[in-house]
Amino acid sequence: MAEQAQLLPGTLDLLILKAASLGALHGYGILLRIEQITRGALLAEQGALYPALSRLEHQGLLSSEWGISDNNRRAKFYRLTTSGRRRLREETQSWNRLVTAIGAALGAKPQEG
Amino acid sequence: MFAQLQSLWKALWNRSQMESELDDEMRFHVESRAQDLLGSGLSREEAHRRARIEFGSMVSCEEKVRETRRVTWLEDLAQDLRYGWRVLRKNPGFATVAVLTLALGIGANTAIFSVVYAVLLKPLPYTNPEQLFTAFQANAQQGIAETGCSYLNFEEWRAQNHVFSELAGILAHQLTLTGRGEPSVVNTSVVTPELFALLDVKPVAGRIFFPQDGKQGAPSVVLVSEDLWRGRFGADPRIIGTSIDLDKRPFTVIGIIPTAFRTPFFNTKQEVWIPLVQDPLFSTFMPQRGVHLLPALGRLKPGVSVAQAQAEMDAISGRLAGEFPAENKGWSVRLVPLQKEIVGDVKTALLVLLGAVGLVLLIACVNIANLLLTRATSRSREIAVRITLGAGRTRIVRQLLSEAAVLGLFGGVAGIGLAYWGVEVLSSLLPRNLPLVNVIRVDNVVLGFALLLSAVASVVFGLAPALLAANSDLLTSLREGDIRSGESGNRRRARSFLAAGEIALAMVLLVTAGLLLRSFSKLMSVSLGFNVQRIVKADVSLPRFQYSTPQQWTSFSGELLARIQAQPGLQDSAVAVPRPIIDRQVNLRFEIVGNPPFSAGASRTADYVSISPDYFRVMGIPLIAGRFFNQHDVMSAPRVSVISQAMARLYFPNQDALGKRLTFGFPPSGAAEREIVGIVGDVRDVALGQAPGPMMYVPYAQAPFWGANLIVKSTMSPSSVAGAIRQEVRMIDKDLPVTDVALMPGIIEASIAQPRLGTSLLSLFAAMALVLAAIGIFGVISYSVSQRTREIGIRMALGAQRENVLKQVLEEGARLAAIGLAAGLAGSFAATRLITRLLFGVKPTDPLTFAAVAVILIGVTLAASYIPARKATRVDPIVALRYE
Repeated sequence: MAEQAQLLPGTLDLLILKAASLGALHGYGILLRIEQITRGALLAEQGALYPALSRLEHQGLLSSEWGISDNNRRAKFYRLTTSGRRRLREETQSWNRLVTAIGAALGAKPQEG
Repeated sequence: MFAQLQSLWKALWNRSQMESELDDEMRFHVESRAQDLLGSGLSREEAHRRARIEFGSMVSCEEKVRETRRVTWLEDLAQDLRYGWRVLRKNPGFATVAVLTLALGIGANTAIFSVVYAVLLKPLPYTNPEQLFTAFQANAQQGIAETGCSYLNFEEWRAQNHVFSELAGILAHQLTLTGRGEPSVVNTSVVTPELFALLDVKPVAGRIFFPQDGKQGAPSVVLVSEDLWRGRFGADPRIIGTSIDLDKRPFTVIGIIPTAFRTPFFNTKQEVWIPLVQDPLFSTFMPQRGVHLLPALGRLKPGVSVAQAQAEMDAISGRLAGEFPAENKGWSVRLVPLQKEIVGDVKTALLVLLGAVGLVLLIACVNIANLLLTRATSRSREIAVRITLGAGRTRIVRQLLSEAAVLGLFGGVAGIGLAYWGVEVLSSLLPRNLPLVNVIRVDNVVLGFALLLSAVASVVFGLAPALLAANSDLLTSLREGDIRSGESGNRRRARSFLAAGEIALAMVLLVTAGLLLRSFSKLMSVSLGFNVQRIVKADVSLPRFQYSTPQQWTSFSGELLARIQAQPGLQDSAVAVPRPIIDRQVNLRFEIVGNPPFSAGASRTADYVSISPDYFRVMGIPLIAGRFFNQHDVMSAPRVSVISQAMARLYFPNQDALGKRLTFGFPPSGAAEREIVGIVGDVRDVALGQAPGPMMYVPYAQAPFWGANLIVKSTMSPSSVAGAIRQEVRMIDKDLPVTDVALMPGIIEASIAQPRLGTSLLSLFAAMALVLAAIGIFGVISYSVSQRTREIGIRMALGAQRENVLKQVLEEGARLAAIGLAAGLAGSFAATRLITRLLFGVKPTDPLTFAAVAVILIGVTLAASYIPARKATRVDPIVALRYE
């Protein structure tokens, strides 16, 4: 298992949106998907997941619906809405800009002369 | 947006469903996780345990989800209000007491406010009322603050000023309306024709006055009120153009004035309006520049300031004084906003009442705050648990505040109900001389005030307990047993502070009420200087056009008096103009013959009364020196006069006034010399509260007035007196109405109706304050005793005497009383300074009142502490210790 890192504040929402963009998932499924797509490098606190889901649904970025899970149980499935998809795109771009900028900043070497 | 609304809908109506869904969701999560862990080789129990631990607290998660679901303040509010309602329903006793207290407070405040609003605040019902000003004449040297102007001056004002878009003069009196039914007396406004255009009055039918209606020699025209038109004239649509008789002279009706129109200055409903030039009485004064009779009303031009207007009028006054020094020297013009002029001196009384009733509400709020504080203490564990589970402190404060808001809402609604009733009662009690142009009722503004008051009250009584509860020490609160053994010092101090505050507020109210009560009883016991009991008054109004000469007046009143005195039981009858308290007094200037004349502008005046010879005997006014008038003091005999003791003392100090001569009188006998033949006792003629001033009496036969203002001393009932008088009047002239028959005690009573109502209301409020404060103290001491049951038990087990316990509890009450009285004393000194103008014969620092109030408050405090103190002495040590 790779080394684990704490989530930056605000990144959980982004990861949830990304996970849900790959298909409808129930809460636990989203947790597993995040673990999978981060290759276990980032660990979401399980209890923090549901307030985040609730918030995103409330903001209209996710929609939910009750269905039947793989193990034949009733579960609540979350799906990305159109505005959720747009938000994911925007957040991804701004994240990338940030990473590039921070990376460049941290990669800077002292000027010789 | 739609998602939000949907979510709000869910949150509001499907809250429990949402919570159970979340439960299902979390359970599914934990079980799925456990299953996965099971796959990695853990035992079943171990897998479930690990899954639960990894997930963390479900309750905390639920609370956080709930936080995210917070849609708007609206949802929170709805939730808090629902919660508040549930909590209150669990404590019906507390809720009832709190709501009732609040309802009383808000109801009383709203009712008083409706009066204050109608009288003081509501704009007058005229177009642009802020432009309306009254123009009075004043004379500083003569001590005259406000009087009318002469018609000739009024004309100069109109012609010369550039600041008023219009000026109009208004007077009022009564005329006799005859023809078309019984003769009756109608309230008549005598105006210059500009008034209706100035006030922008639209007639129901016909037209208003035009300038030419005010010209000398114009046809006599009249405007009638809608009420008179509907009542007396059966809403006859053809009345315009027909003629009616006023004082036996025909006037052509040219228009109907709507019921809603109120004539400025005059509270009574005016029934007809005639141009000044047509009035049988006032028109005779029009050519006399020295008669200051006509109050003027003006509308400022847009953009003109009061200061500009005043400066312009000062300039005009200066010019007039130069041009006509005899009549105008020393006279200035005073501009007063119409609203202020109408309200007059009622303002202080009304504001004092509003302040008092506000204090009552404040005490009610303090009481409820105390109750809430007590409950917050017993609920501190619940609150601590909620905070631990992640509820924010602001959330808790809001929740406790919303409980208060629910109380406030119910209190407000009940209070508004009470206010409707209160306004009705108040309206029926209001003295008829209250200056009212607007109608008193619960309108939107008053309703808004009541709602605002409820909201403010909720915050006042809800905030302190809520803040204290949210800041309580979590650990202490959570520790078992701590709730019983005591509460935080903060809260105890807060409660004592509130209770002492209640005593202080109650003291302010009690002192104010006490002072007013004492001055009212002084007013009631004042000696008027004349008989009150068994005195009946009646008015016979003479048509001035028909009875136009002084000879006619004298012969009419002489014949009438002779006929009435011939009736059994009516021997003691007299005629007097004006009569004390009953009529408006007439103040005339005089000169003493032989003394150098008073310089212009420094003249002396005295109240002037014209009486029949028997007047002093009927009224019981004592003779001090000389003689009364008799049958021989007639027009052909030398002019005589009787003066009051005050006048003798003031103008003839250390000398005999008898035999001295005065010049005074109404035109044409303004310069008549009258010998002083008698000195009589002083009389309070203007008002009960006004010290007797100088008075001069003349025989009616030498100075007749139109009409007969009768005074009869009789053991018969007023109605039989009226019947007998009516019969005699009819024998002389069947068209003469006899009006306003009344008993003197009733008239005196009516003259002090305003201070009586004010004093009664304030006493009522003070009583409410006292009861509320007593309840508050009782609550605080009772609670403190119940909190200390264990301590008291231990002390008694250790041998403390019951008396000691009793003493200790009573001491706590006494301490509250002492702090409250000290604060109340300071407050009272400040407050009573504001009511000095309402007091009569009592100083605002009257020691007797202060002492009595202090004794009452100490007594009530100790009585309120005594019941819980007795309960404390009955504590059984064994039970108290086992209580743990």
